[in-house]
Amino acid sequence: MAEKTNSANAVGDIVRFENVGMRYRLGAEVLHDVSFSLPAGSFHFLTGPSGAGKSSLLRLMYLAHRPSRGLISMFGRDVSTIPRRELAALRRRIGVVFQEFKLLDHLSALDNVALPLRIAGAREGQIRDHVAELLRWVGLEGRIEERPSTLSGGEQQRVAIARAVIGRPQILLADEPTGNVDPEIALRLMYLLEELNKIGTTVVVATHNESLLERFRHPYFHIEDGLLTGPFPADARK
Amino acid sequence: MIGRVTDVPLRNDPASRFLPWTVGLQVLLGTLALAAAMLMATVGDTWRSSLSGTLTVQVPPPETDAGGAAEPNGPRIDAALELLRKTPGIASASLIPESRVAEILEPWLGSKVLAIDLPLPALIDAVAAPGAELDIAALSARLAQAVPGATIDDHAVWLRRLADFAGVAEAVSLGVILVILAAAVVTVVFTTRTSLAIHRDIVEVLHLIGAQDSYVARQFQVHTFRLALWGAAAGFALGAAAVAVVQFYGGRVGAGLLPDLALSPVQWAILAALPVAAVALVVTTVGITVMRSLGRMM
Repeated sequence: MAEKTNSANAVGDIVRFENVGMRYRLGAEVLHDVSFSLPAGSFHFLTGPSGAGKSSLLRLMYLAHRPSRGLISMFGRDVSTIPRRELAALRRRIGVVFQEFKLLDHLSALDNVALPLRIAGAREGQIRDHVAELLRWVGLEGRIEERPSTLSGGEQQRVAIARAVIGRPQILLADEPTGNVDPEIALRLMYLLEELNKIGTTVVVATHNESLLERFRHPYFHIEDGLLTGPFPADARK
Repeated sequence: MIGRVTDVPLRNDPASRFLPWTVGLQVLLGTLALAAAMLMATVGDTWRSSLSGTLTVQVPPPETDAGGAAEPNGPRIDAALELLRKTPGIASASLIPESRVAEILEPWLGSKVLAIDLPLPALIDAVAAPGAELDIAALSARLAQAVPGATIDDHAVWLRRLADFAGVAEAVSLGVILVILAAAVVTVVFTTRTSLAIHRDIVEVLHLIGAQDSYVARQFQVHTFRLALWGAAAGFALGAAAVAVVQFYGGRVGAGLLPDLALSPVQWAILAALPVAAVALVVTTVGITVMRSLGRMM
């Protein structure tokens, strides 16, 4: 496990977990003593079988859940001491691609992608141009007025990615982003994430897609039965 | 945000469909209750202002003798007037003309009351001096001694009862308004919580992409504002029309029996503020409900 708890190393860390445990309500603990840190601008995979705790770990990182014990620091701030009203500002620095997309079905692709900007209070005049440009970038220029229900799985995934990155987050968390798309689309999405990483975005991709791990050589964490190990270098995989 | 689709799809909620009706009916009832309260306040004030020392003295015609002949009532009237004018505390006393008496009796006896030769009593209107405290019992005794059969109607007793009745009616009307407001608040809290439960997943997504609680609350408030505005406008239109009809027919019935049943321009303005206040109450309640509910989420 990568434990960078001294102050010199912690300065560049965008995420830091120390002995974190997590349980849902009064259920059994699903994550045990998780400790790791992510340097700004890094790219990591998070691997592990279904039900191992990948999504739970991501939920902690995108501030959907509080830990039952331990310390979580995001952008240098202890999450447990952040007032509720300040959580929103912190979440705007985090982009999330949800496993099941979580697009709003009653809104067009454009309005879905525009949500983070509207929430942040951007002017309506700027939103449309900005969103249309991003949708062109993900190859959906002809479908910006379509509702999610009329889009294919791959198209919905790209809308979800566009929504996650429109606010220029410092960290992008993707939960099985290629789980619902064909291999060709999966490759395009991964190239997209690498492009974002090149311009400074910290990226974490949770996946159990072995071929992706073979093709895209990034360090990875492994989680099994709620226990996290890593990071391992890409070439540690056999 | 007013003109565009809200981020939370509230339009098709079952609760949303009933909100305009609920608000409309509550504003309708509220308008009627408030109008009743203001009318009762006006009527009560009118009656209370009349409490200050007006007396009516009845001087019945003398009884006929065995042969059916009656003495003239004039001397008895003059005696009563003289006694009243000499009584300390009586500012003035004057005979009410027969034509006016006929007008007062017209609703009961018809327009030809003077022509049918009924033994009508003469009526004397006496006004007490401001601040004077008359001993009505003593005055009645002296009057009965000077003019046998003459009686005093002290308006104060029944006017006080009427004023009390108006006060109670006003209080009940205001109580009804409070009940209506409470019902509106409870209804809106319930429908808002239902909507929040229905759209919990979407609200969570909005939170996770950086929405403040106030942003989510505004979504609900904008939607509610649109619906409540229509309901309140319709409810007020119907309520105001009903009040206008009552005012029109009340004015026709009035003619000496009832005080003027008309709302003043200021009272109409207060009435018109009711739907605005109702919409503000509903929208504020929605905001508070959403904020409090979201405060329990991460």
